[in-house]
Amino acid sequence: MDELPIPADAISAELEDLVFAGLPATRRSFLRAAGFGVGVAAVAGCSRAPVQKAIPHLTPPESIVPGRAYAIASTCAGCSAACGVLATCRDGRPVKLEGNPEHPLSRGGLCAVGQAELLSLYDSQRLDGARDREGGIGWDQADQLVVAELARIRADGGRVRLLTGTVHSPSTRAVIGRLLASLPDAAHVQYDAASTSAILDAHARSHGQRILPRYFFEQAQVVASFDADFLGTWISPVEHAAGWRQARDPEAEPPRMSTVVQFEGRLSLTGTRADRRVRIAPWETEPALARLVERLGVLAGGRAPSASAGRAETATLEEVDAVAGLLWQHRGAALVVAGAADGVAQDLVNRANVLLGAYGRTLDVERPSLQKRGDERALEQLRQELAAGAVDLLLVAGCNPVYELPDSEDLLAGLSATAMVIACSPSLDETAAAAHLVLPEPHSLESWGDAEPVAGFCTLQQPTAPPLRSARTLRATLARWMGDARGDRELLQAHWESELFARQDAIGSPAAFFAAALSRGFAELAPQPVPGAEAAAPAPAGSAFVAPADLVLVLHPQIAIPDGRHAHNPWLQELPDPVSKVAWDNCASVSPATARELGLRAGDVVRLNAGERAIELPAWVQTGQHDRVVAVALGYGRAGTDRFADVGPEWLQARATVESGGTIGENAAPLVARTAAGRVFAGAAVTVEKTGRRVELACSQDHHTLEVPAHLAPKGGEVRDPARELAFAAWQADPEHALHRGHHAPGEGELWAADHENDGPRWGLAVDLAACTGCSACVIACQAENNVPVVGKDEVRRHREMHWLRIDRYFEGAEGEERVHHQPMMCQHCDHAPCETVCPVLATVHSASGLNQQVYNRCVGTRYCANNCPYKVRRFNWFDYAHDDALENLALNPDVTVRSRGVMEKCSMCVQRIQEARSEARRRGEKVEDGAIRTACQQSCPTQAIVFGDHADPAGRMARLAASHRAYGVLDELGVAPSVRYLAGMNNDPLAPARAGHAETGGGHG
Amino acid sequence: MTRRIHVALFADEAQFLAAARTCRERGLALLDAFTPYPVHGIDVLLDVRPSRLPWVCLAGGATGLAAALLFQYWSSITDWPLNVGGKPFDSLPAFLPVAFETTVLFAGLVTAAALWLRSSLLPGRKPRRELPGTLDDRFALLVAHKDAANDFAETRALLESLGAVACWDEMEDAS
Amino acid sequence: MAEIHAPAVRPPTILGDKTLGGITSDVFAPLDRRPTRLWWWAFLSAAAALLLGTVCVGYQIMVGIGTWGLNRTVGWAFDITNFVFWVGIGHAGTLISAVLLLFRQRWRTSINRSAEAMTIFAVMCAGLFPVIHMGRPWLAFWVFPYPNARGPLWVNWRSPLLWDVFAIGTYFTISLVFWYIGLLPDLGTLRERARGLRKKVFGWLSLGWDGSARTWARYEVACVLLAALATPLVVSVHSVVSSDFATAILPGWHTTVFPPYFVVGAVFSGFAMVLMLMLIARKVMHLEDYMTMRHVHAMCKVIVFTGSIVGLAYGTELFMAWYSGNPYEKFAFANRMRGPFGWAYGVMVFCNVIAPQLLWFRKVRWSLGAVFLITILVNVGMWFERFVIIVSSLHRDFLPSAWTGYVPTWIELGTLLGSFGLFFTLFLLFCRFLPMIAASEIKAVVASERHHAPVAEGVAAEGVTTENVAAECETVEAAA
Repeated sequence: MDELPIPADAISAELEDLVFAGLPATRRSFLRAAGFGVGVAAVAGCSRAPVQKAIPHLTPPESIVPGRAYAIASTCAGCSAACGVLATCRDGRPVKLEGNPEHPLSRGGLCAVGQAELLSLYDSQRLDGARDREGGIGWDQADQLVVAELARIRADGGRVRLLTGTVHSPSTRAVIGRLLASLPDAAHVQYDAASTSAILDAHARSHGQRILPRYFFEQAQVVASFDADFLGTWISPVEHAAGWRQARDPEAEPPRMSTVVQFEGRLSLTGTRADRRVRIAPWETEPALARLVERLGVLAGGRAPSASAGRAETATLEEVDAVAGLLWQHRGAALVVAGAADGVAQDLVNRANVLLGAYGRTLDVERPSLQKRGDERALEQLRQELAAGAVDLLLVAGCNPVYELPDSEDLLAGLSATAMVIACSPSLDETAAAAHLVLPEPHSLESWGDAEPVAGFCTLQQPTAPPLRSARTLRATLARWMGDARGDRELLQAHWESELFARQDAIGSPAAFFAAALSRGFAELAPQPVPGAEAAAPAPAGSAFVAPADLVLVLHPQIAIPDGRHAHNPWLQELPDPVSKVAWDNCASVSPATARELGLRAGDVVRLNAGERAIELPAWVQTGQHDRVVAVALGYGRAGTDRFADVGPEWLQARATVESGGTIGENAAPLVARTAAGRVFAGAAVTVEKTGRRVELACSQDHHTLEVPAHLAPKGGEVRDPARELAFAAWQADPEHALHRGHHAPGEGELWAADHENDGPRWGLAVDLAACTGCSACVIACQAENNVPVVGKDEVRRHREMHWLRIDRYFEGAEGEERVHHQPMMCQHCDHAPCETVCPVLATVHSASGLNQQVYNRCVGTRYCANNCPYKVRRFNWFDYAHDDALENLALNPDVTVRSRGVMEKCSMCVQRIQEARSEARRRGEKVEDGAIRTACQQSCPTQAIVFGDHADPAGRMARLAASHRAYGVLDELGVAPSVRYLAGMNNDPLAPARAGHAETGGGHG
Repeated sequence: MTRRIHVALFADEAQFLAAARTCRERGLALLDAFTPYPVHGIDVLLDVRPSRLPWVCLAGGATGLAAALLFQYWSSITDWPLNVGGKPFDSLPAFLPVAFETTVLFAGLVTAAALWLRSSLLPGRKPRRELPGTLDDRFALLVAHKDAANDFAETRALLESLGAVACWDEMEDAS
Repeated sequence: MAEIHAPAVRPPTILGDKTLGGITSDVFAPLDRRPTRLWWWAFLSAAAALLLGTVCVGYQIMVGIGTWGLNRTVGWAFDITNFVFWVGIGHAGTLISAVLLLFRQRWRTSINRSAEAMTIFAVMCAGLFPVIHMGRPWLAFWVFPYPNARGPLWVNWRSPLLWDVFAIGTYFTISLVFWYIGLLPDLGTLRERARGLRKKVFGWLSLGWDGSARTWARYEVACVLLAALATPLVVSVHSVVSSDFATAILPGWHTTVFPPYFVVGAVFSGFAMVLMLMLIARKVMHLEDYMTMRHVHAMCKVIVFTGSIVGLAYGTELFMAWYSGNPYEKFAFANRMRGPFGWAYGVMVFCNVIAPQLLWFRKVRWSLGAVFLITILVNVGMWFERFVIIVSSLHRDFLPSAWTGYVPTWIELGTLLGSFGLFFTLFLLFCRFLPMIAASEIKAVVASERHHAPVAEGVAAEGVTTENVAAECETVEAAA
């Protein structure tokens, strides 16, 4: 997989013509298609040219060796962050997505959602061809209808509105611009499901430009985050996580370790990794920020603080004062961020950052982020226009307003009052169902595209497979309506070679410029001047209604399902949420104290009443959450998710994942509050009433703390220490003994004489808990790489999830004050593997290079190995897991066996990658050099928390990490000699020196 | 040549044993005895040599032990050595249970087989002699003359006097 | 054992003034008669249970192990629990037939035949589970080291599961051979009595047994040899079974006390099962004269003895858990007693340690009802012992993140019931078609007692019945 990306334009363009338009093709492109056709055609039943005459690669085209993987550089469209991906393709189809290490934003990382985009390419429910309300119609007919309508509008006036999510594709924006210009009264309205509009508005006021700054967490020594989940779901998580990681490296000389203080009401992923966490209610955010600005003002020599705002707890304000001091101490390397959709709060944040001299250092407005451009006020305006029936033609693309926005009934009414509603949506979602015309957009992996996520930085998205569906991008569609019949690639190339080429001077010829961009996947250009915003309106008190209440609602995006678009992806649905560990559901999270107060247990179905809206959800008890907060994840309850009704095995006592006609989870969008400033996601008062019904949630972890249950522990309690954490202070003071707890050194007290010497490599992993954010990208990467089946809600309930790599999440410490540990747990490939000794048929044995091998076709399934595995990382095929969605099966990795019923399986350390690299090296007559092999989990990790390497090569990166004083093996004391070494987590909280002692014994004493 | 032998049935173990003893003193040849349960003492009178089954059993056991150990060593060291849980290839302690069980198995089967073959107890085989009630409550004694001189009537009278409930004589080929 | 020290007044093994012919008819007559209604009732319910079990196993093999309540952490539960339980049941048979033979315990003769039969059926039930608990039972033969085209790839001699294969295999074979050899004389008698097809069948089975003194001589030697082999075998088998756990690294499994602990437990449960069956059989087959109160007594004493040792073993485990200072070990036992499966631990302790202690009291030993109830409790308790050891150790081991619970499915319950169905079906058929009592051995015993224990005749003279023997035994014990 380490090959250089090869330009795929040649391939894909031809394929596009061939299989999309069905035109007569050249022999070569036909043959290329054929190999793929065999795959899709036969199964997916899409009947296009190669399908009828699918023949094998008789004459393999150069650059595609059958059975040999090749990589295509492209851009992830999983969210608007536009990370760089390398699509690993086999025989003309992608089988794995990986981060593009050269990509300046994502730096090789790719989140769980990005990984899972692969599966949505092979989603059998994507629309095929244009359709009106009756059903399928030809593209030409559809185009004629629209063109006629547009002509009418041009002739005798009329409003045209284009409603999209953030469009950061330069070429598409150009086409949109042309269309809008050609119409009398047309406007383009953008919004983001998870809106950051308030930040842009605040900058319009403070900087005169409606822009979203780019945040540089790598520069930030101290970060004060107010409910901004920047490691999890906020704006560009992979980019932020990579930066955060860069600022925290205990192994560096001298050790680097930033401090993140998280003020929040719910427990976000960032909250779990924060060095210091302050639980505040949403109504405290604004006063807290006000106090912060005041303090900073004082420190900056300003006036004395006025009486502090009354709505905040004194404790909170004291915390704020302390944090203000810390920030000021690191001014220039300090950063304040807030997730609140509240103009006043964001104004305060800007002032704080100005006072801290953060602009130009830890956040940048010269080359701002273009990843979110949503404008809530424009959206609000459009809503009113629609309600008034004042829109003649509405084009919706790249978003699903009927599902995502509150008051969807009004919206639907508005749509029905609109003469023509066109939805460009890949599937028949809630909005498309209400549209007159649906013009499906292709998946990003089968179409051309580009993006400018950061001003002056453009990335290319190119097809990795011929289109599986008859679909057309918004770009091509709009162009065609304006009489420009060029294909996507021509439009794109034209735009790049004219407009974008002009913005750089590194490369002389347009063609060369485009080719270079293709092979790298991106190009760096001069930023376009951002148009100045209209006269900065005063900040509307967006949070006027956010007042103290008994219980308030916090609606948030989830790691696995950041927005509704991904609700149809089984990998993401089955990915346990890193914080709650619940899969296949969203729930109403309350703190333990509140749960006691309301008499709630996890699984009690409760009714949440916010204003006149109400939804019913199972309750979840989430420690670490503010007692007055009820947190609910958005993105669930998508129509059509009952497609998962029969995912998972069918047997006597099986329970359906979702009853047919139902949905996975509930849509919480109706509870989103609306103000003049737009949608507000946190702070609305809510009441919780029990319905008396109970459901069993699918939580992959039963016991959530490192402490064993009190009534089973000796006096003083017992804390286990698989996951350990050090105080940065202690580490700096005495690295040698910071972790020392009198554990046996591995290999100490061996029963057997050292046997089985070998001079070859001894593979192993080093997992840095100081870097791991728990984002779970590795879990999905592993699932994609190793063909791990999806087993469905009931099997997860029964603790039979099949993930080879799981992330153990432990809470430690007093309720509400917990430290949180995330620990990736995979097969430890023990040198003295207990599983091997007990297998009667030698189905699991040790390889010469230190791998614990599982021989599927020898396994008879006694499960003795799993019983004897102290890490419980072995997974058993309890049933024949369904592989009957033939299209979905194209996502299977041909290098990895699909396991049959009744056999044991587990992490193989991506042995297929090891073998590929070794045979490649052998071919070249060299030895595998360090870093040549990267496991799937390592490759995708945004923070490089996982490193694969050779224990026998002391110079190697992994071996060096394993030699760190932070390194330890989980359950080393058992003498099983695990090959996976963990590096203790790191907590840098200068405000709590007491914490140092705490964290030292933090991991407890095994 | 054929000879004539006496068959005497007794209803009581004591009488039967006494009769056997007397006949022996009288110089009559005791050919065999058939009893519903093992009657101790009769084997001595019949000059049954002590059984050699224990030696057979020992041999069987030894074979089993050797076979098991050799095969385990051969298969896990010579034929296909595999690294199993980092244990040495010759994990003798781990080989012992199987070795022991095999020992017992061989010993037991060989003993049983020897018993059956030596006593020619084989499926479908007809009993050598079916005497009324010897499998129920009768004790049969088979007596033959050392030479033709003896008088049948006398012998029969003797047996009856010793308490035989039934007594008759048969011809059998002495070869 | 008071009786043994007072041979002069020892009551006879067999009651009633039995003639040899009388014994023959007593033992073989039931086989000629039509089965009683009671037998039919018992047989049909057993067969029904067997049918249910067969359906459950069939379904599980067709659909997958997932139809059991197991999960990623609890990989064994009912399957291996039942396996160990049934192996344990088997042990009493061998013990009675082999060990008591070596110790020349005469009273064994009345029950050893049925006890051995029980052994064989129990081992059959036991052997079923390791096979069906596999994910791919159709490949079960891979556990045998046979030459194959995969290298040949042999087996892992280090795996206790493999030791099981050899231990259970040997145990079954040797028990079967021993039992069959013991049957030969009676098969001969059956041949004599039967006619028609049965005569043919028994003629074939009896291998032409004719009761020749020469054969008897070898026969007795062979029996002693097999007994001498079976005795260490029975000890090794449950020791091997216990190493399935003892050699694992799981806290609560990794315990050196297991081999003796398991062997004693096996004898304990086995005797309870034998006694239970005996109490049923003597009623159903009217064999009160052969399976007397004296037998009941002797076995009660074995049960209370072994039961106490089992209790000691439990105590030892707890002490070692505490004494080891190993936090995982400590937790495993705290969790075993007070964790989610604490109730099972309670059932285990009550049934195995407390209930049998009642047998110290003569009154309890005399009430067959009470004895019957206790034998049932002991069997329940011993099943739970295995369940507790397996599940409570597995479900919460080292990493708290991996902790789960366990709930059996209907399939598992059905399979457990089915194994009892198989066991009782076989046992009832055995009662119908083969002599439950080793007639030839009984005859030997009766004869010898008549000749060597004259005092007993006084008892025999006045037409003894269970009741006045009861009374008489009282005096015996009082004397002791």
